[in-house]
Amino acid sequence: MKMWNTALAISMVAAMTAVPALAQDKTLNMIVIEGGDTTAMQAVVDAYTAAHPGTKINLQPYPFAQFFQVAELRLRSKDTGIDLVYVDAPLVASYASRGFLAPVDASIDTSSLVPAAIDAGKYDATQFALPINNSAQVLFYNKKLFADAGITAPDGLTAGQNATQADVDTLGSTKRWTWEQVADTAQKLTVKDGGRTTQYGFTVEQFGELYQLQPLGESLGTDVIAPDGVTAKGYLDSEAWTKAGTYWANLYNEWAVSPKSLGYGEAASLFGNGQLAMFAGGTWNLPILAQTGVDFGVAPFPYFEGGKVLTPTGSWYVGVSAASTNQAEAFDFAKFLTTSDEGTRVWFKALNQLPVSKPLLDEISTAADFDAFPNNVFRLGVYDSLNTAKARPVTAAYGQLQDAFRTAFIDMANGVAVKDALASAVQKFESAAARVAQ
Amino acid sequence: MVRSKTPLFLLAVLLAPALVGLVVFRLYPIALAVSDSFFNMLRGNQVFVGLDNYVALFTDSAFWKSLQVTLWFNLLINPIQIALALGLALLYVQKFKGVPFYRVLFLIPIGVSLPTAVIIWRIMLSPDGLANGVLNIAGIPGQPWLTSESLALYSIIAIATWKGISYWMIFIIGGLQNISPEIYDAARIDGARAWQRLIFITIPLLRPTLLFVLVADVSINFLLFAPIFMITQGGPADSTNVLMYEAFKSGFIFGDMGRAMAIIVVVVAILLVIVGLQFRLLNGKPEKK
Amino acid sequence: MQNTPHALKKGIGFGLKHVAYIAIAFIFVLPLWWAIVSSLRPNTEVFADIFPFTAKALIPSPFSLEAYQGVFDRGFGIIIANTMFVAIVTMIGGLIVNGMAGFAFAVFDFKGKNAILTLIIISFMLPFEAIALPLYTVTLQLGWLDNVAALIVPSVANGLAVFLFYQFFKEVPKDYLEAAKLDGANWFDVLVRIYVPLSIPTCISAGLLLFVFQWEAFLWPLLAMPSQQFKVIQVGMAAFQQQYQTIWNQLFAVSVITALIPIALLLPLQRYYVQGLASAGIKG
Repeated sequence: MKMWNTALAISMVAAMTAVPALAQDKTLNMIVIEGGDTTAMQAVVDAYTAAHPGTKINLQPYPFAQFFQVAELRLRSKDTGIDLVYVDAPLVASYASRGFLAPVDASIDTSSLVPAAIDAGKYDATQFALPINNSAQVLFYNKKLFADAGITAPDGLTAGQNATQADVDTLGSTKRWTWEQVADTAQKLTVKDGGRTTQYGFTVEQFGELYQLQPLGESLGTDVIAPDGVTAKGYLDSEAWTKAGTYWANLYNEWAVSPKSLGYGEAASLFGNGQLAMFAGGTWNLPILAQTGVDFGVAPFPYFEGGKVLTPTGSWYVGVSAASTNQAEAFDFAKFLTTSDEGTRVWFKALNQLPVSKPLLDEISTAADFDAFPNNVFRLGVYDSLNTAKARPVTAAYGQLQDAFRTAFIDMANGVAVKDALASAVQKFESAAARVAQ
Repeated sequence: MVRSKTPLFLLAVLLAPALVGLVVFRLYPIALAVSDSFFNMLRGNQVFVGLDNYVALFTDSAFWKSLQVTLWFNLLINPIQIALALGLALLYVQKFKGVPFYRVLFLIPIGVSLPTAVIIWRIMLSPDGLANGVLNIAGIPGQPWLTSESLALYSIIAIATWKGISYWMIFIIGGLQNISPEIYDAARIDGARAWQRLIFITIPLLRPTLLFVLVADVSINFLLFAPIFMITQGGPADSTNVLMYEAFKSGFIFGDMGRAMAIIVVVVAILLVIVGLQFRLLNGKPEKK
Repeated sequence: MQNTPHALKKGIGFGLKHVAYIAIAFIFVLPLWWAIVSSLRPNTEVFADIFPFTAKALIPSPFSLEAYQGVFDRGFGIIIANTMFVAIVTMIGGLIVNGMAGFAFAVFDFKGKNAILTLIIISFMLPFEAIALPLYTVTLQLGWLDNVAALIVPSVANGLAVFLFYQFFKEVPKDYLEAAKLDGANWFDVLVRIYVPLSIPTCISAGLLLFVFQWEAFLWPLLAMPSQQFKVIQVGMAAFQQQYQTIWNQLFAVSVITALIPIALLLPLQRYYVQGLASAGIKG
């Protein structure tokens, strides 16, 4: 009982003494995703405040699953308690179109950043957010499961083999597997026991998400929506997307090589347990898989035979809230975080995400530290981001698109006819997007 | 008559704390939220649109489909939950050797929060999960519990029911306390059978409690969308897309608060009609003996 | 032995009863059992026997206490204490405030009573998500952000609890009241000496309602405490589901701990629940 009382007293005091900092200091508040992102951001904040003792930066971490909802609520309430906002790439347009973000200070020099990433932070030709890092998708494969089944594994990067940027470029440009190869192999590596699947051949990490699946149809030649940002007819229900949807539906039904409705992190979990032979996922899985002891390799993200090689890209941005009363100070921190040598380096070291800063990308390509596995996987990210990356569509109705797309792809996996699911997605997206664009 | 001389000062003291709290933290925010249904966001500006958001719902096929799902869902889940909670309460208050042990087990879902319950059940009901594992042992093929149009809504009902009935059971047990044991003794002497006592004594005398549980349960189930958000996201083929989830998507994912609040106002209007009917049916005083 | 068939029949009845109870209890317990087992495994092993399911999924093997250790290393002791504090203060305040209002509605007649009761019912008919934004603005104006008051005060007055007390108090025979008034008792005596002792089971139900509301609160604590200095259970648990991975075993460890606390609080109150009730139900 005594312990409880003490704990209560301590926590109450902690809550009541959380008062704002002294008036002469500038205090900036930033909303950010809880977990590794917060730890990494804190490292950047520490580096920044060491050089700017007058500024204090408080991070307000929110859990990933609720981050967007809370950000939406607080930004809409014109809350002056937020200065800096962590923004997912495709939401830049949605936030900017509703006046949540302040236009980026034009004096910030962004010439050291990858141009495609800079462009994805624009809405109506105005820069509203600056890119913090990029993302890259690869194909993970379990070497032991391939060897046991006597099947040739894809060409890829594995433990014990060094690779120069030139080696990785060759891998990315000439040895990339096709989705057809993935399907054939996955069927051979799927093991059933008494009607139940004990080993799956292949899965994508994010079940039904546009981010990961956009290259499926676009690789066959048709964008997911029209450049106007509100039309999906003739795009999402096109022949290319019907073929992509059919492939996707077969993974779950006809071939039955993929487990249905995986939550976040479950693909890596299955792969780590040796119950999954291959999965397409982000390079953020590398540290997680390293802990499991499974012997794996990393191959480039696949494409359709005869189609164009396209890979997912885009990640997190930083913006300054339009309601902030400390915009100049907030932009100064955003500039440090995204364009300074020190800020980008601290972020990369802490979170290990593919950078958007050209000096860092050059370093990854040339420094000896990145010759060995798994660091050399970043070189694959460099190759893809320069040659095959395709950004998500820019539309103020991105949330609507993502939802309609996800619903359609989950429905197809659950057995709804491909044409019906895509037609329904087109109808849902267009009617919801029309309300935003009216 | 006591009622003739209502002491106004006392009345104010008794009511003020609750009413002030409810007005400031519930009713005022509700009024603000409802007023959002008369506005749309256009290029960063709030524009007054009158009843346009409501009119738009009339021709909105997603809304009508979702309304059907909502009504069917509630037509099933509410009677099921209340009947099971009543049955469980009657089992709970039995006295025999070993019953205290079962009582503890009956209480378990109360402490498991809804999101946690959903996470656990989603894994149990996955294609290779525990539920199908058990079926396989019995020689029955596995079922697509959460991924088929014909089963998903019922699986959601089952999960919400697992989580809900222990909680409602507590309220019913509380109500059972208010029934005097002598009435049962008298009935027993008159030779009434167990089921007769249940139908003719327990249920009529439980009316005030049942009205509370009914109103509270119906309100909560009409507003329920967390399991749908977490598991099916309205699918497959919109079969679990209840109105609250449709409103949540509009408001929080699409940034379209006008449509979201118009849908919620419609849901509350439907709820008020249903609750009004429940009051009519159950609020009469039990007949005097 | 004249009464053997009777004893036998009774014995079979007893056995059947236990089978029925066990079957029902099994359904209640199974999910939590699996959560307990998973909380006693290393994180990488949580799904080892579940996809596909084997009976081994119900045994904590390999066994590990790392999840419980991890949970307390993260400061979950304080988080649970915080939540207990918020829930208990809300419960006590709520019992007084809502009980008084329920009493006033049940005992007195006054102008506009039905209109006010309708508003009280409407107050719990909107989803919290719908009023979260206006409530946030109100809290901002009161200057309560990051103050525990923002977690407790808005939840003390509860329309459902008022309604519950009202439903109970209006069934209390008015004869009691009139007799007490004739004896010269004042209103306070009537409330405390007559209504409160009669309403203990109702108070337990209302207390549970208020307690569970805070025990499960999530979106509001997330919004009202932006600096995250004072965390409650659901907010703390959300951190286990990260952008790129989920710490399953810790998530289940907290689920198990938080499921057991309300049960532990309810059990001592059972004696108010099962007095003289054996005949209430279906028993022959």
